[in-house]
Amino acid sequence: MKNKNENIIEVKNAKKIYRMGKEKIVAVDDVSFTVKKGEFCCLYGASGSGKSTLLNLMAGIEKLTGGQIIIKGRNIHRMSEKGLAKFRQNSLGFVFQSYNLLNSMTALENVELPLIFKHMNRKRRRRLARQMLINVGLGDRQKHKPKEMSGGQQQRVGIARAFVSNPEIVFADEPTGNLDSKTSKEVMDIIKNMAKANNQTIVMVTHDKDLAEYADRIIHIFDGRIEEIVDLKKEKAIEQEELEPDQELSDAYIEGGVIPAENPG
Amino acid sequence: MKISDLLRMGLRSLFRRKVRTILTVLGVVIGCLFIIITISIGHGMDKSFETQVKEYGSLTAITVSKYGMIYDENGNWAGSQDQKLDKDLLEKIKAIDHVRAVTPVLSGEGELWSGKYRSGIGIMAMDMASFDDFEFPELVYGEYPTEEDNSTMIFGHYLPWEFYDQYYRSFKQVDLEKDQLVFKFYNWQYKRNERKREFVLPVKNIAKMEETKSNFDYNIYMDIDYFEKIYLQYCNTLTLDDRKKAIKVLDEYQEIRLNVDNIDNVEEVQDKIKELGFQSESLLQFLKPTIEASKTLQLIFFFLGAVSMFVSAISIANTMVMSIYERTKEIGVMKVLGCVVKDIRLLFLFEAGMIGFLGGVTGVGLGYLASYLINKYGQPLFGALMTGGSPMGDVAGATYSIIPLYLPVLGLSISVVVGLLSGYFPARRATKISAIEAMRTEN
Repeated sequence: MKNKNENIIEVKNAKKIYRMGKEKIVAVDDVSFTVKKGEFCCLYGASGSGKSTLLNLMAGIEKLTGGQIIIKGRNIHRMSEKGLAKFRQNSLGFVFQSYNLLNSMTALENVELPLIFKHMNRKRRRRLARQMLINVGLGDRQKHKPKEMSGGQQQRVGIARAFVSNPEIVFADEPTGNLDSKTSKEVMDIIKNMAKANNQTIVMVTHDKDLAEYADRIIHIFDGRIEEIVDLKKEKAIEQEELEPDQELSDAYIEGGVIPAENPG
Repeated sequence: MKISDLLRMGLRSLFRRKVRTILTVLGVVIGCLFIIITISIGHGMDKSFETQVKEYGSLTAITVSKYGMIYDENGNWAGSQDQKLDKDLLEKIKAIDHVRAVTPVLSGEGELWSGKYRSGIGIMAMDMASFDDFEFPELVYGEYPTEEDNSTMIFGHYLPWEFYDQYYRSFKQVDLEKDQLVFKFYNWQYKRNERKREFVLPVKNIAKMEETKSNFDYNIYMDIDYFEKIYLQYCNTLTLDDRKKAIKVLDEYQEIRLNVDNIDNVEEVQDKIKELGFQSESLLQFLKPTIEASKTLQLIFFFLGAVSMFVSAISIANTMVMSIYERTKEIGVMKVLGCVVKDIRLLFLFEAGMIGFLGGVTGVGLGYLASYLINKYGQPLFGALMTGGSPMGDVAGATYSIIPLYLPVLGLSISVVVGLLSGYFPARRATKISAIEAMRTEN
């Protein structure tokens, strides 16, 4: 938190072209923007607008066709595969639309997974993962497999997994895409509160106008280009300062703990 | 990933697909079992040859006998011929390439007396310099003849036979080391000159061989020079006519024995001797069909083992490929969560290696069981196969399967290596999967 205005993510002229046979599809077309540290940034657009592709490019999951993406001062598309993996372990968290939990593992083990890759010892990572599950209100679901949980619960496991290693940036790709509106709201609250508590940067993709409202800044994407950037932070600034971040987080824990279990499926 | 986590995850995914894992492991088990049985039977055969060879002499030994047996190419007896084995021939044989040691053999018969009790014996007299080359056994007591004193009579382990008094029809046990013994040649063969005293040789210098379960056990051995000396002394006691006849015996040897430097040259040397006009015999000549049969048998077994190992390698590869298909999404998620590519490869390699290891352990266990069963109940099958074509008949109490200590280690290593090799390419494939594609697959 040394510099609130530090640009943690810089996207410079990012370009992604898919080749389908002889046809070229331009998914991301010369996009440039920056995300500041601690900012909640939303990529908003209709399906097929290229917003998910942009997110994947920022996360280094897909290769750029042109341009640069710099995260924490490092050009992630210039990194070796191993370097990128290490970078992901230490600095990035992911929340997926389809949760992407490992079905063979329990909730607790799923949350532990990123820590396993970080060579953390068993006891320590168990404790961290358990605490994380309690934080998202699933303290009593640790031993359950993903198939035994509802969509909302699974996504909360996903969130716990994304935040467990305390990454600086969390990428969320339509995190509520498979959830009903009530559950969506709960999930969004958890993400937002967690990020606020640790000054983490969130980049979220959504096509839902209401969810986009959670963000500090909305980047509208249309046909692979930025249509407009709306800064909501200034509007919200007055309300935000009235609430202590810590107070807000502990509220979220309590809230999470009492959320009733939904029906699986 | 830490090694412990790697192991845990690998074991978990093997355990998750129990049936498939067991079936794949089974393939390795069969392969490993075959290889262990093959090699163990090979060792069993070697061992049984060793015992046979010990019983009948060295595989590199060739004997030229006074009565040469003639065999056709198939090893069947086709007749015999009288052969004159003299000093001249001895020199010729010595000159043949690859011949390591040659000795003439004179055999004599006689009797040992202890008071009124007598016991018949056979004597083999050979060049004492060649005793070492013909692998004479260790002695229980006494010493082999030396340049200074070549008068030692070396008793085979089972000698002497019981002493018998034919008038009182009673037996007597004789202690070679304590009792006074004398040696005489048989008196019925030649007529004694009445004016001369009977040839009687007090037996003073005695040695006794260890038990060898071979021909050594049944004869008295001595140096050929000493034998000639006492024989000539004996001849001097005979009538003039018989003396000439008796002395002539020394001109011809009963046998010429030779040792060849290498088992591969036995046939060549036998051919050379044939060119000289003499028939010869070797153990190898009799054992050759057996050796070849057992080699063929081992080859067949080994082929079966190799084939089943190959099949199980394919099956491991198949299992791993299936496993990767099923876990494509998992691999993608792991990659995105920051799992290093090396760890993914190690994970799959470990799983494949583990299948090989489990198969190897089970295979080794079953190998010991199979070896036990073969030795206990395998007599009808393996007995026939192992002594087939050999004139030696059955070796009682033979073991057909022997598992030396290195064999379980070898079996296990082969299984694990097969596992790792067949898991290598699937594992590499797993690491090549693009994370984004992998996460899109539904399962």
